[in-house]
Amino acid sequence: MRKKELKLVVTFHTTADAMAMEKVCGEKKVPGRLIPVPRSISAGCGLSWCAPLDAREHILEVMKETSIEEEALHECMV
Amino acid sequence: MNLSDSKKKLALAGVICGVVAACLAWFGNPANMAFCIACFIRDTAGALGLHSAETVQYARPEIIGLVLGAFIISVATKEYRSTAGSSPMVRFVLGMILAIGSLVFLGCPLRMIIRMSAGDLNAWVALIGFILGVGTGVFALKKGFSLGRAHLTNRVSGGILPALMLGVLILALGTSLLKSSTSGPGSMHAPILLSLAGGLIFGAVAQKSRMCFAGSIRDVILMRNFDLLTIIGGFFVVMLIFNIATGRFVPAFDTPGVIAHSEHLWNILGMYAVGFAAVLAGGCPLRQLILAGQGSSDSAVTVLGMFAGAAAAHNFGLAASGTALDTETQELVAGTVPMNGKVAVILCIIVCFVIAFMNKRSEGK
Repeated sequence: MRKKELKLVVTFHTTADAMAMEKVCGEKKVPGRLIPVPRSISAGCGLSWCAPLDAREHILEVMKETSIEEEALHECMV
Repeated sequence: MNLSDSKKKLALAGVICGVVAACLAWFGNPANMAFCIACFIRDTAGALGLHSAETVQYARPEIIGLVLGAFIISVATKEYRSTAGSSPMVRFVLGMILAIGSLVFLGCPLRMIIRMSAGDLNAWVALIGFILGVGTGVFALKKGFSLGRAHLTNRVSGGILPALMLGVLILALGTSLLKSSTSGPGSMHAPILLSLAGGLIFGAVAQKSRMCFAGSIRDVILMRNFDLLTIIGGFFVVMLIFNIATGRFVPAFDTPGVIAHSEHLWNILGMYAVGFAAVLAGGCPLRQLILAGQGSSDSAVTVLGMFAGAAAAHNFGLAASGTALDTETQELVAGTVPMNGKVAVILCIIVCFVIAFMNKRSEGK
């Protein structure tokens, strides 16, 4: 079983924003992957972007460039 | 109790829901329909006089319990969030499609799993359509489909549907205003308090575990994530054991009396429409009730759409009939999908495509 690690989890207002994030991150070689929003964060069933903690600045920069608005940024075990 | 921090606990959530469904089937709910959201919404719509099909009228306490169970547990655990504003009328239409597609197949995704666990091969055929429908919805998501974001709103707004459900419960328990079938599926039910308790438990567990039939397949296709599917697996195993143990497991297509038909194309297309609409609406019929219970007015509108769709399905002759034995000749009478139902399913699928590709993220900006 994969060991859980502390990760950066970006949540979005809509699923479409999360999908756009995946596309942009793929194009700009930003580390991370799409995951269901961790249950500890929300009772909703949307998607979120999970990345290493040290990618925070890079991710925020890319989101600003592409006008993708986050709902919140969390650090949690994933 | 955290029901979602490991696969074992997620499976346990499915097992608990399976035990609830098995108990309700044992204590009187229709064969093979232990806990069906579309059928039970259809019955409740009939009880409220929204349609006049006399055999399917009964205010199902399970539906009331699901919403109230999700409401109570979300308030108790501080997860209740009153939200609204994400294309409500589009969601109303998607709710109608969820109900119509389900009533052409004769069951929502939850009942599809229950029917599969009882050996109904028609449900296994319908699963193909459901997966394809979810897959099409995922394709739309990848192409930028969005109904726009929901916003926090007045706390009372999210409590309206639970309050209305409580009102229906009071009418059912304290008055004779609601209609109640004396024959047919609507007359077959577990004792009211047991059904209500079952709904409350199911609703609370579904809220905690985020149980969703469309979401489980969406997550597998989109992210190779099997968390939600684990819940469905637990549920299926319990129902399979129950059906085998009680002699209800009949692996066949044309089983009379289980409220199913063998028109394969329409089983596939009915569930295709349901899978597609469920991804666009952000959850299967069960999940819509749970989200409505935890404060989403958008999901509450989807639930109202399901009531309207269920009523339309019977008022306009869209719902399929199940295979049955002729009581006089003892001959098998095959269940069918009426022409109106076939046309309606095609229209539902067309509407899903229009919604999927006319509502783009960029347009809302």
